[in-house]
Amino acid sequence: MFQEAELLEYLKIEIGVGLISSSVPREGKICVTVKPTVLRTTAEALLKRGSRFVTITAIDGGLDLELIYHFDLSGTLITLKTIVEKEVPKVDTIADLTPAAEWAEKEVAELFGISFRAHPRPGHFLLPDEWPAGKHPLAKPFKSELPEQLCQVAESLITSGATAPISPLIKRKREEIGLPAQPPASYASEPWLREVHELVQRTDFSKKVGYDWKKRKLRGK
Amino acid sequence: MKRYALFLGCLIPQRIPSVELAARRVFERLNIEAVDLEGYTCCPDPIVARLMDRKMWLAYSARNLSLAEQHGLDLMTLCNGCFETLFEANEIMKREPQTKREINELLAQAGKKYEGRVNVKHVVEVLHEEVGVGQIKKLVERPMKLKLAVHPGCHLFREVEGGDIWRKPRELDELVLATGAKVVHCKLDRLCCGFPMMQANEELALKQNLSLKLACYRHLAVDGIVVPCPTCGIQFETGQVLLRKYGARYDIPCLHVVELLALALGVPADELALDLHRSPVPLLVQKVLTDV
Repeated sequence: MFQEAELLEYLKIEIGVGLISSSVPREGKICVTVKPTVLRTTAEALLKRGSRFVTITAIDGGLDLELIYHFDLSGTLITLKTIVEKEVPKVDTIADLTPAAEWAEKEVAELFGISFRAHPRPGHFLLPDEWPAGKHPLAKPFKSELPEQLCQVAESLITSGATAPISPLIKRKREEIGLPAQPPASYASEPWLREVHELVQRTDFSKKVGYDWKKRKLRGK
Repeated sequence: MKRYALFLGCLIPQRIPSVELAARRVFERLNIEAVDLEGYTCCPDPIVARLMDRKMWLAYSARNLSLAEQHGLDLMTLCNGCFETLFEANEIMKREPQTKREINELLAQAGKKYEGRVNVKHVVEVLHEEVGVGQIKKLVERPMKLKLAVHPGCHLFREVEGGDIWRKPRELDELVLATGAKVVHCKLDRLCCGFPMMQANEELALKQNLSLKLACYRHLAVDGIVVPCPTCGIQFETGQVLLRKYGARYDIPCLHVVELLALALGVPADELALDLHRSPVPLLVQKVLTDV
């Protein structure tokens, strides 16, 4: 395990803050997950160390595309993962660093619809010549894995902490009948709502369902 | 005076605020202090939310329970779904130390903690056990001379392991009887109103659940349906509207048990905003007032 531990330490220094997680699940195997922004730097560091590029695996998770780069260093398999959001399906090429990656990147690009920035020879690779442009046979629709009927509930539970936000009409009706415009629910006050937002983030639910915190809605809905 | 933390949930304040209004009036008359839970979230619902993500479901519900615990009060719900979730979450927090630790770690960052000291009660059992049918009968000012179907809903049967699952449904019947109404039963009393199934197949939910029950109630010539749950209430009300597109028309009034109690206890009908209902509840009220 000495070689794995040493290599991992080396990678941690080279990758810096772009490292998301790393592990040595068993002898002869290292797993590293990085942000897409440091994918190229990481590959470069591995190649500099004498690693050999093997191939790329891609998995379409609906909202994101997972790219798994495989490298070999004297019999140790290094799995380098990154998650690319499908809103901007782009990642830097490594084909100029290791020519063996050129076809692997073209294959992933054609089948999944991701583009590799600054690829030396982009374009058609293995699909038939008459294959329609923009159709990627292994790409899934851009949507959450949640059933469509549940997306609204999930979104509302995160956004307001309730199954549905209270409408202006209901607020008026409530006041007309002598009730406060809103009940003392989480959505009635910013500090309460902030507390709920922080809580739901800690549960990882918002990440699981692909909640976009800037837009306050589910991605791919 | 009995004090309870009042858990209003989502549907009542948003969809049928007349139930909130009635509950507050009933509590005043029956000397129950209902303390609002400030900053509460959705319970969240015991079916969909729990299936989506158990950790999120439990974190939200434990946070709600911690709000009641901060007041040192037991928690009372007006909804079967909220009852099921909060009751279930409470049991989990009491029985699973590891889960409790994990959830409390999530809550701790907001300065909250749930120790497991709260009892979760449905309003039906609070009224029945804290006030009592005898006392309610004494306080009835306007006897409900009505023939009513009582739909207990599914989650009212939730009990501690080995408990009497019919306890709360029986108490619900007795509360309705205490108002002076006659309770009629049918073979389909335990059939779900169909609300959860609406997400998957609206037509099936309406025809195979709701319409069967409504046909049964119409056959029994009931004046109305009493529910202890806003979700069932919404299903009975909007469901009757939706069923019209399939050629079925019922027009049976449906109201929450606290609304019935408010009327019976003499709260003026025009102060209960019963016209917010989507079923002909005002007609039922008219019948009550005429009979008086």
